[in-house]
Amino acid sequence: MKKNSDDIDSVLIEKARNGNKGAFSILVNKYYPRVYATLFSFTKSKEDSEDLSQQTFIKVWQQLESFRGDSAFFTWVYRIAINLAKNFVASSGYKKQKINTSIEQAEIDISSFEDIESAVIHKQSLKEIKNFINTLPESLKTAFTLREVEGRSYEDISVITDTPIGTVRSRIFRARESIIDFMQKELITNE
Amino acid sequence: MNEINEKLSALYDGELNAAEVDELIDIISKEKRLQKQISMYSLIGAAVSQQSTNVTALDPKKNIKNAFSNIWFSNALTAAASVLLTLTFVNNVDFSRMDINTNSSKQISSAINSKEAKNIAEKSNEYLADHIMNIINDPNYMSSKNPLDLQNVGYKSNSDNGYIHSKGNERFQLRIENKNFGIKQIRYWKHGNKMIYLVPLNDGRVLTLYGNISLSSALSIAESANK
Repeated sequence: MKKNSDDIDSVLIEKARNGNKGAFSILVNKYYPRVYATLFSFTKSKEDSEDLSQQTFIKVWQQLESFRGDSAFFTWVYRIAINLAKNFVASSGYKKQKINTSIEQAEIDISSFEDIESAVIHKQSLKEIKNFINTLPESLKTAFTLREVEGRSYEDISVITDTPIGTVRSRIFRARESIIDFMQKELITNE
Repeated sequence: MNEINEKLSALYDGELNAAEVDELIDIISKEKRLQKQISMYSLIGAAVSQQSTNVTALDPKKNIKNAFSNIWFSNALTAAASVLLTLTFVNNVDFSRMDINTNSSKQISSAINSKEAKNIAEKSNEYLADHIMNIINDPNYMSSKNPLDLQNVGYKSNSDNGYIHSKGNERFQLRIENKNFGIKQIRYWKHGNKMIYLVPLNDGRVLTLYGNISLSSALSIAESANK
């Protein structure tokens, strides 16, 4: 049977529902970057986004029983994050002029990025990551791209590349490790 | 340790069997380093799938390493997440902006700040968020039967692969909602190398276009749909 990222989410969600905090921590770590990015687009504040990200996953944990699986897990998490962001924005003491008060405004207001370094970081680092992937050995690049870009299963990749599944798994892992290594060396300083 | 990391990579891809998953969850829950590794995999996946954006480099003189150093070490995952700040923020066309005056702006502002309006807006935002997330996450969502004939605006329709419309380099899918998400003007986003356009139609419905298509083409299709 072909498995994919959604399948493993279902497995982890089921285990988390049964109280397995390890499974839940995997889900948190898997989706934290995307939740944080979503919340940052609302708050424009690193601290507020961190707080709201934590609140999001607390709510996710509390409401996990109610997740019916009608939509992708991240879609459900995203809604929780957005609702928290809206409540946060509506709360007193928050400087409304600093942020956007609705999804609509958040999504249209490119000028609000102008004081955010990460808008610069984003484009440059994505380009650097992409360039680095192009320098990977062909075998690693092919396996990684088939998995991450085309969403192919290991079995599919094994057939396409005429390579044992174990080798496919190893190549994808090595590609990821190389990219992480590159990011830590080239995109992140130790200052 | 490499063996564990390799299993983690396979777990992330949903390629471990049940027994291996159980075993690995136990290990991961005790190791913060492995938990962070999952976030990094997620970050890489998102970075690769987005590939490029139109977010302008606002200060090209700024050294990327310095920019990262400002934020990275307080929370590595948070900083990693900032790389993803993109689902993406392009623009909004306000057709009425050209002739709106200050007084009417204030009246509109007062109206949209009423409790009722806020409730409606919040509901609309939820629907809209769901709609956008479905477009991005569900490959079948946009492949509904073609509700519009676009031949009069020069597009060929191919029903073999989810009703894809094409002309030259442009390829996109469309669907029409019977609700308007509370939008009164065309809105668009960039996701990866594709555009998402939501175009309110005269009859109160909303046309969604998703794919490689320019704003001017989206507008001409909307105009055709309104006829």
